[in-house]
Amino acid sequence: MPGSMMQPDLSGVTATGGTRAAALARWQDNGWPGPRVEAWRYTSLAKLSDLEIAPVASLAGSASGPGMAAATGIAAHVIRFENGVVDPAGLTGLPGGVTIGDLGSDEAATARLAELAPKGHPVSDLSLAVMNGGLVIDVEGTVETPLMLLFEGDDRAASAHPAILVRLAAGAKLQLAEWHQSSVGLSAPLIGHDIGAGARLEQVKVQAEGAETTHLAATGVALAAGASIHGFSLSTGGSLARLETHVTMQGEEADCQLSAIYMGRGSQHQDITTFMDHAVANCTSNQIIRGVLDDTARGVYQGKVHVAPDAQKTDGQQMSRALLLSRKAEADAKPELEIYADDVICAHGATVGELDATQLFYLTSRGIPYEIARSMLIEAFLIDTIETIENETLAGLLRPVAEAWLAGGEAS
Amino acid sequence: MTALLEIRDLHASVGDKPILKGINLTINAGEVHAIMGPNGSGKSTMSYVLAGRDGYEVTGGDILMNGESMLEMEPDERARAGMFLAFQYPVELPGVGGMSFLRAAVNARRVEAGEEEIDQLGFVKIVREKAKLLGISDDMLKRAVNVGFSGGEKKRYEILQMALLEPTMAVLDETDSGLDVDALRIVSEGVNVLRDPARAMLVITHYQRLLDHIVPDYVHILAGGKIRKSGGKELALEVEESGYAGIDDAA
Repeated sequence: MPGSMMQPDLSGVTATGGTRAAALARWQDNGWPGPRVEAWRYTSLAKLSDLEIAPVASLAGSASGPGMAAATGIAAHVIRFENGVVDPAGLTGLPGGVTIGDLGSDEAATARLAELAPKGHPVSDLSLAVMNGGLVIDVEGTVETPLMLLFEGDDRAASAHPAILVRLAAGAKLQLAEWHQSSVGLSAPLIGHDIGAGARLEQVKVQAEGAETTHLAATGVALAAGASIHGFSLSTGGSLARLETHVTMQGEEADCQLSAIYMGRGSQHQDITTFMDHAVANCTSNQIIRGVLDDTARGVYQGKVHVAPDAQKTDGQQMSRALLLSRKAEADAKPELEIYADDVICAHGATVGELDATQLFYLTSRGIPYEIARSMLIEAFLIDTIETIENETLAGLLRPVAEAWLAGGEAS
Repeated sequence: MTALLEIRDLHASVGDKPILKGINLTINAGEVHAIMGPNGSGKSTMSYVLAGRDGYEVTGGDILMNGESMLEMEPDERARAGMFLAFQYPVELPGVGGMSFLRAAVNARRVEAGEEEIDQLGFVKIVREKAKLLGISDDMLKRAVNVGFSGGEKKRYEILQMALLEPTMAVLDETDSGLDVDALRIVSEGVNVLRDPARAMLVITHYQRLLDHIVPDYVHILAGGKIRKSGGKELALEVEESGYAGIDDAA
């Protein structure tokens, strides 16, 4: 274990044994991955080696507001976390069909979250071990009101480790928004979506953390037969952000639409990493990734689609395009197909480009100022991705964040 | 009286290659001038130089609009000052909605003129009226700019933009290329409606046939980067009969 890796007092976790103690042991063995670990070749966590892992024990203040849902203009039930700690106010008055329990005291649920979590990802182990806001959210039937998980907090010395398992019973339907706007030192959410047969999760995530925050998210998704997830992430915040999602098709006829936009400027580092495991036959997956990078920002997309030998009739698509607005910006894309079945339709592609000078000239020749013309073209580059979101309510959450970024302001 | 557009001994290069080699041309408000010339004579270069496109470098001379030099102005500044270029090859903008494009252009001019930005509803009404005259359907207006438009539709859309932006100096670059007879008539009518004592036009074309529809006051023959001959509308008919060969030789 690296000497610089500071540890909170975790004797309690070790004493309980079970899944969390095992996760802690793995974390203590492995620590943060170094540059020689292939999955972390493009994204260095060197700056985390001095970071104190400091989960906050309790809520700092009592103030909890429903303000967020109002601010974003959607009528959602908000469950708010502050510095990683859940605000109990959000756990009452839940929409019909939703029940919430404590994850830490539910060994079976904890074990399931560990199963879904991206294997070998430091946050999968660390946040499971030290979770300071652990929830099991169970969903039955069609839930009309969207749920919003809102992550706030301004304790720069804190590391936030919310661990959440969302379980959709067979046939359930949920709209879920995940909104990150904290300024903690390390924001390390571990989230599992366990989607039952025929159930459907419509999900968006907004990563608009403060400028100094490191956002390392580990998300695991399991899809039972006929289950579907339509997920979309928009990542604009943080100094370093990596949104890593692992999806496993566990039943046939499952469908996964997982798209993302990352936007970076200054010296931001934005990383979208996905692993799509087509473990069974007759499933579809589609990923559309768009990146916009200015100044010396760097973007990374790593997407692996794995098709097991028995997973015939798999349809797996991924397409990533990055737009560089500055000569010093950099985009790396590593799409991978690993196919062991012979009757599949799989395709991937990655492009990196600049704004088209002819298009810019056409717009400016109509009197449109250069900066506006540029924004129009960037928006055009992103728009078909946002248009893949069928849920208008959730799509509406994203547009203001993207527009704020384009306007050069702080996304919030 | 100050000329609307005055081009003085204009020299311009693309890359290291000199294309325009001393153009002199004065256009007054209300006049329609035609520039004709063979391929490679510098016609399109001239239109891009007037609009201020990157990569078209003015190496000598000056371009004055209403007596003020435009050389230091960016393309968007020139446009807001009243310059308009109808492109020979209008540019497709996937993902840019037609209505928001047109509105951004019109509002940029209005803001410059110190006017209120136009609201969406009022704007849609104005666009529809002008579009109807040019045979542009609502469906076309809803699509992304120039995406999926035929050659003729693209040219009509250029004229629609001109009608909305109401430029004082309109440059039409090979507006007839790719048009069949009917489309040529519609486009020409759209242009003729915009003839105005306060507005001048510079119609650039290879063929005389456009000038049957948009009848110019003056015709200039451009060859080898210089204006070789100027005259009235009858000069276009001369070219139609004897071609550019004689003019090239004279150079």
